[in-house]
Amino acid sequence: MSLNTQLIRSLKAPARPVWEEPPSKAGLTAKGGLLLLCCLGVLGPLWIVIVTSLSPKPVIDRVGGLVVIPQGITFVNYTELLSGGQVSRAIMVSVGVTLVGTLFSMAVSVLAAYGLSRPGSLGHRFFLMTMMATMFFGAGLIPTYLLVQSLGLTDTYLSLILPSAVSVFNILVLRAFFMGISPELTESARIDGAGDLRILLTIIMPLSRAVLAVISLFYAVGYWSAWFNASIYLTDQQMMPLQNVLIQLVQKNTEAPTGLQQAVRTGQLSALGLQMAVMVLALIPVAVASPFVQRHFKKGMLTGAVKG
Amino acid sequence: MSLTAGSRPDGTRPPAAVEEPTAAVAAASPKVSVPGKAGKAGKVPFQVRLRRDRALILMTLPVMVLLLLFNYVPLLGNVVAFQDYDPYVSSNGVTAIFHSPWVGVEQFSRMIDDPLFWSAAKNTIVLFLLQLALFFPVPIALALLINSVIRPRVRAVAQAIMYLPHFFSWVLVVTVFQQIFGGAGIIAQTLEDHGWSGFDLMTNADLFKYLVTAQSVWKDAGWGIIVFLAALAAVSTDLYEAAAMDGAGRWRRMWHVTLPALRPVIALLLVLRVGDALSVGFEQFLLQRYAVGAGASEVLDTYVWNMGIQNGDFSYAAAVGLVKGAIGVCLVLGANKFAHLLGEQGVYKK
Amino acid sequence: MTPNADSAPSGPSRRSFLASTAVATAAVAGGMPLLAACGGSDTGSREGTTSGKAADKMLPTYVASTVAQPDLPSKNGSGAGYTGKVDLAALKTSVPKKLGTGAPIKIMSPFWGSPPKPGNPYYTALDAAAGTKITWQNQDGTTYGEKLGAVLASSSIPDMVVVPGWELVGKIANAVTAKFMDLAPYLAGDKAKKYPNLAAIPSDAWRMGIFGGALRGIPMPAATANWITPFYRKDIFDKKGWSPPKSPDEFLSWAKEATSAKAKVYACADMNWSAWSFFGVRPSGTLGWNIGDDGKLTYRHEVPEYLEALEWVRKLFDAGVVHPDDKARSGDQGQRFTAGQVLVYNDNIASWYGKTAEQAQAKPDFEIEGMDLFGADGGNPTLWASQPATIWSLIRKGASKATVENALAAADFAAAPYGTKERMLVDYGVEGTHYTVKDGVPVKNDLGNSQVLNAWVMLAAPAAYYAHPDFPDVARKQVEWQQRMGAFMKKTSTFGMNIVEPTRYANLGSQFEQLEIDYVRGNRKLSEVQAAISTWKSSGGDKLRDWYKELIDKNGSGN
Repeated sequence: MSLNTQLIRSLKAPARPVWEEPPSKAGLTAKGGLLLLCCLGVLGPLWIVIVTSLSPKPVIDRVGGLVVIPQGITFVNYTELLSGGQVSRAIMVSVGVTLVGTLFSMAVSVLAAYGLSRPGSLGHRFFLMTMMATMFFGAGLIPTYLLVQSLGLTDTYLSLILPSAVSVFNILVLRAFFMGISPELTESARIDGAGDLRILLTIIMPLSRAVLAVISLFYAVGYWSAWFNASIYLTDQQMMPLQNVLIQLVQKNTEAPTGLQQAVRTGQLSALGLQMAVMVLALIPVAVASPFVQRHFKKGMLTGAVKG
Repeated sequence: MSLTAGSRPDGTRPPAAVEEPTAAVAAASPKVSVPGKAGKAGKVPFQVRLRRDRALILMTLPVMVLLLLFNYVPLLGNVVAFQDYDPYVSSNGVTAIFHSPWVGVEQFSRMIDDPLFWSAAKNTIVLFLLQLALFFPVPIALALLINSVIRPRVRAVAQAIMYLPHFFSWVLVVTVFQQIFGGAGIIAQTLEDHGWSGFDLMTNADLFKYLVTAQSVWKDAGWGIIVFLAALAAVSTDLYEAAAMDGAGRWRRMWHVTLPALRPVIALLLVLRVGDALSVGFEQFLLQRYAVGAGASEVLDTYVWNMGIQNGDFSYAAAVGLVKGAIGVCLVLGANKFAHLLGEQGVYKK
Repeated sequence: MTPNADSAPSGPSRRSFLASTAVATAAVAGGMPLLAACGGSDTGSREGTTSGKAADKMLPTYVASTVAQPDLPSKNGSGAGYTGKVDLAALKTSVPKKLGTGAPIKIMSPFWGSPPKPGNPYYTALDAAAGTKITWQNQDGTTYGEKLGAVLASSSIPDMVVVPGWELVGKIANAVTAKFMDLAPYLAGDKAKKYPNLAAIPSDAWRMGIFGGALRGIPMPAATANWITPFYRKDIFDKKGWSPPKSPDEFLSWAKEATSAKAKVYACADMNWSAWSFFGVRPSGTLGWNIGDDGKLTYRHEVPEYLEALEWVRKLFDAGVVHPDDKARSGDQGQRFTAGQVLVYNDNIASWYGKTAEQAQAKPDFEIEGMDLFGADGGNPTLWASQPATIWSLIRKGASKATVENALAAADFAAAPYGTKERMLVDYGVEGTHYTVKDGVPVKNDLGNSQVLNAWVMLAAPAAYYAHPDFPDVARKQVEWQQRMGAFMKKTSTFGMNIVEPTRYANLGSQFEQLEIDYVRGNRKLSEVQAAISTWKSSGGDKLRDWYKELIDKNGSGN
């Protein structure tokens, strides 16, 4: 049994391995076409959304809906959205909650996933079942609220993290990956006298970068887009995360508009344009973060493996 | 190792691919051996097992505490399903449980007698099956497609583009769809200019189930590829190389190497999806219920919302929630069993 | 900005208009419009109502405000109208000395939009003027119902809570009785004279504040001649030479003529709310019950007019004269109206001013006008009065005397009549900081628009009035429309009573709103509506009728 960590291939190296046959023209065309189609399916609507968010109100009014062909550009929707101190502060809140929450969730989830990765260990089945049952039974709004309140978590940022810190689904995915790691790898470390924590930190986790990246992303996205907990557990509007502020911003039919809604009403801004700008703003963190996460998928490719 | 030996004309999985312990990917095949095999566990004295596994138990503990606190403690609140619960009858909602009348299974029989409940249940099941058939395979196919792209740049860009729609909230997705496919939308207006009138995809009750499935695919299919891509990323290239050496072509390799590598993940997600069959979406349906009517758009979750939360009928909501949860557990157990029969790990091991 | 005079439309209409936008998903949580409320005898029962002499004993003695006389006094249930300009120097004082003692109080109220920071100049100025020290818990108006439900079930309820009628669904109506205090010791009879602005709130509105046999709610009064108004684009009508239709049939034929899908112009939005008025259908909820001329007590959907109204609206949808986005209930109908994509839509009467003001600069030609309501045959309509109050602020049980007095001081300040310094401060903030007066017209600046929002105005209000110094004509038109329509006003047998239905009937009528929406859009058959009505009868409607019969026998009819 030999531990054979594969050599790291440079990302820039010729991508097609020698054993792979050269692609056929038809295959390439079909593949490219399909891929292009999928991307256009996303980019088409996205284009319309972006163009609308950048269109001056008269254009949106004239078209009577979403704008396909740009006719003039204005950034007023974005400047209006970002000029208020509230949006900037909410961004800080969201970033903070997302970072802390993701770290915390990852820590407990990775531990649990490893703790449950050895069928037959003491309490394994019980813990697993206990955990999974929570996926199917929800507690009502009122009991949950009463609990969070009696723990003194209302009006704290912890109320945005702790109640939703654990995603059983994410733990199951992590666990599945951990279990797929060849036992021989850990076995040899164990013989060398390594404890479970050390095995987790030095062997399992480095081998699981791809899945760790993915699950971190899942948690981060969950924290980033959550709004319901904040609307229920927070009373101080100054603490509200970005999503709640954005939701409030796009609300129409309000009786006493904020400055922005006032601008919509008096015809300086188009509500549709503003909504589309909000949509674009919500995408920006993803657009920024995705290359980093994707790089980790790549690293996942280079994981070592045991040759039997 | 020989793949050809294992491949069968009937398309069943060649055992060889699984016996390879190299695939560092998800979810061990049943053959993966683990120290302290389940079979032997019973014979090892408790004390010994405790000492052996105490680190594992300690690691599991934080999550257990969180779940106990935030899922199980409030879950006790579900006893109100057997009450006519009034949270305001006492000084707080907890003590109110002791002051609310017990009504036995009345809430459950109400449910059974309620045609609206059954209509919602029917819509839910139809939509689940549609999603299973039309949504579930899409991320897998997309992941395979992207994975087969060799150029890293193209790959990264395609991937980044595809999961963007996941970040549109449902309100905005529905707005965009309305503006494109609605009766006064871009398509309808274009058709109108050429003499065709009456195009309106958004208020057609018959097509609604396909419409919402299409919306889900557009919004979330790209996001769904992430897990599969990660799994694919972990497949050892040695396997492909060996298969290629053995003369397996592109499609054969996909069939005999890639898919088997994905099978555990697919099985896991499928089992979970089946267990969650009664949740097909919520906001999406709430937003569009007026456009096509409740007859077409009411699903169990919106039904619980309308009857329970909106009308303040907490007991009824809890009862429906309990039934839904019980069915979910049965489904997941069944699906898991089925996965075991197919030789997959599923969510948990026997 | 519109002074808040009519921010209290009837519960159902308000709710429905919130729900009509896609964004207001969560507002759907507002619940069905069974406007429950208050209760019966002093034996602790929370159901029923209290009226007559028993009620009068709890109410504050009415002392009319003499500070500023309206130019158009209330008539036929209309709001009053002020058509003059604002002269800061001439403003009167209605709260001569600060009633607040500065004891800290916490107030929870719904808020639409982004609330300002605590300690902002607006809150500070009002606290200083009223002598209060308020910590605001401004909760998102669209999820207010859930928050309210959770907070009421907890053991820490804010000192004062604003409860809109459309959130009083299911068991929350009962909670109000259980969790909030009887204010009679502070307000009954002459005691209210300590709070002159509260004493000037009409008794009809106060009577609506009786929950569970005790005066618990400080009401926000509303005009009873308050119907959803069909608005039309007068500028476009004039240009095309149309005159407003005078009957449902005329409306339909005009609508067919006016619609041009190609030009993306549709005659109207969903006209269901107007149809109720055209066909004389009573509101849903407690006001839906009435003893007819034949002596029979019926609910709104038991009379033929109900189905007639729905059938007419369905004809509009079938004819393709309703904008497709309204069919899908997507987006904002008001914006389609101002953009000229729909020519007629129905909305709260407040939009008369709202749309005029918002379009004044961008579209000088824009002209909005309320259409007179007509009867089913083109004759006079039958219009049912709406309740004189549908939003309350309540004080939690167990609050200390100091807390109660400070809460009442705040409410008294917020109820200052038009033409006073207090009103001006509540509606516009601090002169120079939040607004400036130009040619007798106060104009809010950016700070005013972001800070002077719905917090203080939710606590209480004077009797309904309309005053728009920038568009005095609109105020006059609003009042005149209400007075004209008010001439055809009738009251249902349950008018003016704050009624809490037994919770076992709470879900009885909950499916009708959806059914109506589905039917007019062609997604349900007439037979299904009829079947729902007979199911309603057999599964509790008839028993609910008996319950109402007894209630009306005991308390007397409201009409």
